[in-house]
Amino acid sequence: MGTMEIITRKDFRRLVEGLLGDYTLYGPVEKEGFPAFARIERFSQLRLSRTPTHLSAKEFLFPPRETLLRFDLKNGDVREVVDAQNQAIIGLHPCDIHAVNLLDRVFSYGTPDRNYLARRKRTVIIGTECTPDEYCFCSSLHTMTVDRGFDLFLHETERGFIVRTGTKRGRRLLERYTSATKAEKADLERLERMVERKEKMFRTRLDAEPSQLPLIYRGADSSPVWDRIGRVCYGCGSCNHVCPTCYCFDVKDDITLDLEDATRYRVWDGCTLEDFAKVAGGHNFRKARSARLRHRFNRKFRYLADRFKGLFCVGCGRCSRTCLVRINISEVTNEIIRETKER
Amino acid sequence: MIPTVKKPRLAFFSFTCCEGCQLMVLNCEDEFPDLVKLVDIVNFREAMSEKSDDYDVAFVEGSISRREEIKKLKEIRKRASTVIALGACSSTGGLNCLRNRFPVEEAKRIVYGKDAAVRKIKDTIRARPIDSIIEVDHYIHGCPITKEEFLSTLKALLLGKAPEVPNHPVCVDCKMAGNICVFERGATCMGPVTRAGCNAICITYGSICWGCRGTVDNPNMDAHEETLRRYGLTADSVTRSLDLYGGCTVRKKTGRGD
Repeated sequence: MGTMEIITRKDFRRLVEGLLGDYTLYGPVEKEGFPAFARIERFSQLRLSRTPTHLSAKEFLFPPRETLLRFDLKNGDVREVVDAQNQAIIGLHPCDIHAVNLLDRVFSYGTPDRNYLARRKRTVIIGTECTPDEYCFCSSLHTMTVDRGFDLFLHETERGFIVRTGTKRGRRLLERYTSATKAEKADLERLERMVERKEKMFRTRLDAEPSQLPLIYRGADSSPVWDRIGRVCYGCGSCNHVCPTCYCFDVKDDITLDLEDATRYRVWDGCTLEDFAKVAGGHNFRKARSARLRHRFNRKFRYLADRFKGLFCVGCGRCSRTCLVRINISEVTNEIIRETKER
Repeated sequence: MIPTVKKPRLAFFSFTCCEGCQLMVLNCEDEFPDLVKLVDIVNFREAMSEKSDDYDVAFVEGSISRREEIKKLKEIRKRASTVIALGACSSTGGLNCLRNRFPVEEAKRIVYGKDAAVRKIKDTIRARPIDSIIEVDHYIHGCPITKEEFLSTLKALLLGKAPEVPNHPVCVDCKMAGNICVFERGATCMGPVTRAGCNAICITYGSICWGCRGTVDNPNMDAHEETLRRYGLTADSVTRSLDLYGGCTVRKKTGRGD
């Protein structure tokens, strides 16, 4: 692994068309003028996007709604439902692949999540290179480049792509569908220059190192920032749902009208929604929007960092982009960093 | 089959509305064979001619806009053990509340001209949701309601559970549907403050959210007005957006008075 090769544009097309034959393929398309992940059925639909999609690609590994169990109430039987198929996702950026690596840890932790893990095992991941937009700040979180979590990673150049291979499965795909040639020293240098150029393009940066953020957040529980952003927040859950690492879900039951069969399913949930921390009897542990936002930010930069050895923000900027009241994750974090330094 | 409460008697009633929500119930054609094994439908003008005053669950459609309707509604409340508001007109007042922007006499004159003097029209009052008159046990929102929500409410009642009414905004349904945000498309939308449960159907099919399901329990209306203004709406169009389905309820919630 870790080898580097060159493929032409023709090779790339053959690779995508090969994937179309063997896998259910997802990748970026143009939707109403914006890049968005969708099912790809023809090569021509694929529009590799340099900038992030509004929604992440987590829906292909962790669907918004997923059946977990089926009950036969006549006989009292219960059956597990694991719905996984061979699928490939193309066009994930480095931050997105970091996010998948985090989800892998989450869904393997404690009782392994069979639904997620079965689907993940059968998912080919092909990364592509990106250009930061005004909300991206992955360079500040060391997620601007990625070296594992993908089968293949494609760096587009003037003539074709420099390909990094991450797995045996990736190698097989490359050998089967392309006539890849070994990368030369000049190609490797070009790749290094591309990374350097990208690093310089960021307009959004954090004013602290990622390793300092859990401690900085620990000291920020009574920061005035929470009330300020809590006042304007809708509590609409959009930041949760566009986030590539938010993985919370609710579990519900549904019954057929003849009252003989039932299903248990999960649906996406979000900690900024009003009912998220509501419990039996109607008590709500985080009734105020400010408390819910503080919780979400702490989940990204502090609480989960201990358990999973990594921040749960990958710097994709999607939450800032989607927020109609302009709550911006990097601005909030920088404000907290500033308060900490002033203390 | 799991045991349920005794076969309840269902009745449907209609006040000021288009009766489109009853039509959605009628659209449950595939489910009726199973449904009638579990319930007796004893009053449903849009579907049958028989009528009975002996019922357990009353589905009430439409808003209240005449004094005579108040009397009828109170009578229904007395007879039914459970009253369910069926659709926007009934649960929030719905579109009918648009009329309340005018004094009643002026509205009558604009709409009916010289006929405004006939008894039935003379009886007209400001439009209002049914829970401003009687206690309501459950709500099925929407203009019109969805078939799925009608059925899930009914199933919950049969199982002795509280029906689930989503308390998150349409933004959640939109993200789950994979939609491009209406605001990104360059339009504006009531989705961020509107109660979901519709699968964001209007946005998915290229329109915007008009707010037909009413607001979530605690909408941030100040934030929404600010957002609408920031996306180019004038003060007047902001009010119009909020009033379309929120004439009777949003004003009350935000203390704008009615």
